[in-house]
Amino acid sequence: MAADVILAPSGDEARSVLAQPSPLAAFWSAFRENRGAVFGLAIVASIAALALGADFVAPHSPIEQFRDAVRAPPIWQAGGSWRFALGTDGDGHDTLSRLIYGARVSLFIGLSVMSVSFVIGVALGLVSAMTSPLVDVVVTRAMDLIMAVPSLVLAILVVAILGPSLVNTIVAVTIVYLPRYVRLVRASALGELGKEYVAAAQVAGVGRLRLMLSTVLPNCLAPLIVQAALGVSDAILEAAGLGFLGLGAQPPTPEWGSMLADSREFIRSDPWIVTLPGLAILITVVAINLTGDGLRDALDPKMRRG
Amino acid sequence: MLIYFLRRVALTIPTFVALMFLTFLAIRLVPGDPVEVRVGEHGISPERLAFFRHELGLDLPVWRQFLDYAWRLLHGDFGVSLATQQKVLTEFLTLFPATLELSFFAMMFAILIGVPAGTMAAVKRGSLFDQALMTVSLFGYSMPIFWWGLLLIMFVAVQLGLTPVSGRIDLINYSFDQPSGFMTIDALLSDQPGAFLDALRHLILPAIVLGTVPLGVIARMTRSSMLEVLSEDYVRTARAKGLSPFRVVGVHALRNALLPVVTVIGLSISSLMAGAVLTETIFSWPGVGKWLIESISRRDYPALQGGVLLVSTVVIAVNLIVDLLYGAINPRIRHGR
Repeated sequence: MAADVILAPSGDEARSVLAQPSPLAAFWSAFRENRGAVFGLAIVASIAALALGADFVAPHSPIEQFRDAVRAPPIWQAGGSWRFALGTDGDGHDTLSRLIYGARVSLFIGLSVMSVSFVIGVALGLVSAMTSPLVDVVVTRAMDLIMAVPSLVLAILVVAILGPSLVNTIVAVTIVYLPRYVRLVRASALGELGKEYVAAAQVAGVGRLRLMLSTVLPNCLAPLIVQAALGVSDAILEAAGLGFLGLGAQPPTPEWGSMLADSREFIRSDPWIVTLPGLAILITVVAINLTGDGLRDALDPKMRRG
Repeated sequence: MLIYFLRRVALTIPTFVALMFLTFLAIRLVPGDPVEVRVGEHGISPERLAFFRHELGLDLPVWRQFLDYAWRLLHGDFGVSLATQQKVLTEFLTLFPATLELSFFAMMFAILIGVPAGTMAAVKRGSLFDQALMTVSLFGYSMPIFWWGLLLIMFVAVQLGLTPVSGRIDLINYSFDQPSGFMTIDALLSDQPGAFLDALRHLILPAIVLGTVPLGVIARMTRSSMLEVLSEDYVRTARAKGLSPFRVVGVHALRNALLPVVTVIGLSISSLMAGAVLTETIFSWPGVGKWLIESISRRDYPALQGGVLLVSTVVIAVNLIVDLLYGAINPRIRHGR
């Protein structure tokens, strides 16, 4: 008894000796190791800040047409002025303002697609893995079908039916990327189902819904979060592609892909009008992919690349 | 073996039926009167409306319409394009070689650069070359290829004048029959001097644009798969035996490292077709992708419906063949399922 008293440390000591870093802190210290990922995250954060604060940051309205300054050159070219730092497009829109507001549109598309496909994907994946085989077959076949149609072709078909608009772009791209989430959740749920802790929970009488959401799902989250992060950049690219084909957000919405399409005719005379929106897409997508790679390395050591 | 083959083939049947149903459904969901959508006439008179309703079988129950549609498809009748009044299947078969040729050269570009570069990066892991390649491939698979295409046109074609801006061949200087539909092959067969080189020059930019994303993916994939293989015991044994580094990497390791890479290449047909839509639009490449986009803007729904169905059928078929080949090569896959 006396020995017990001596060996048992007091509450405070135990906490300081046994304290594990909180999951978030552990994650951050792993994430921080990857310099590229931190760099990517910083850029993503800046773009998000620009998108949120577009009303204060952008020098002009994105849809105001300056008839007196059509195709004004950017500041680094002869005749450029600070009034339109990145020049204006063929309709006299201020390019800088459109790019800033375009960040809002693109991030909105990317995040909407990601969250909707995340929720539906988790639901379908779990239901497919954990209810009847019939449901599993139906869901799996449906996902196979979506995967069989090339992404952009399927998106085009959806837009042809629904008509081109910002919301329909989101719908189309969500449908295209849904199978990735469903298959991922289904596969990891099936993997978890064979493990003993799930059997233990079942024996303990945990209900099916609770088993799905609070026993199995948390253990499938790591690859899912990585997929979600990379899914944002894919969605942005896909939506920009649709915009470029004239099937995405309609003018005068400042969408990067459609800005590119509108400026194609100036490719010889005013190359900067063509260059800038594409650069914005590329930087955003690269930054998100860098962050996603860092997330993967930090969250899921199994998937860590060499 | 036979059972694996049959099971794998049988699994594609429901996907194909679902695909038929999807395209059947799609054209019914298009806004507007179904007769007008399919006949392409607006403000049609009631008599003609009734006539076409009957003609198109729109007065039948939906399930009958679907069965009729499936029946026609299985007999090779994919409908008639509103814009050209040609059979959709005929149009597709004329245009598809152009897409196939472009895809082939794009993949060649991606593989011939991606595999050696990825191997190099793995061998010299952490070197400047490795870091540079990983950065380049990150940019490669993050690339909005429609913009990349415009940039290349701007600098390589317009400013430097090194390649043509668009099309498959210089139609002013060269004209010949196209028995195969593949411009490079037909140019070789034509006996017109310079035609083959001209066809190749037209291919350079589109192939680079379409091959950029696969290049990024393949380079990364080769590198990580190579890194894994290089730490295996048999590679150490080969080194210990005193084999030259080139032989160890190029023969012993690469062969096994390429397996996952080949998988990626085999299954990239779907994303190639998606990329082809954008690439063909930019370079006015007369292939299936550009045709689909034009069908939308012309509201040519029969062509769109048939086109989507045919493109997807090709994807399903190629994926099936790739799967069957794996089964033939790798017994683990065959018995695993």
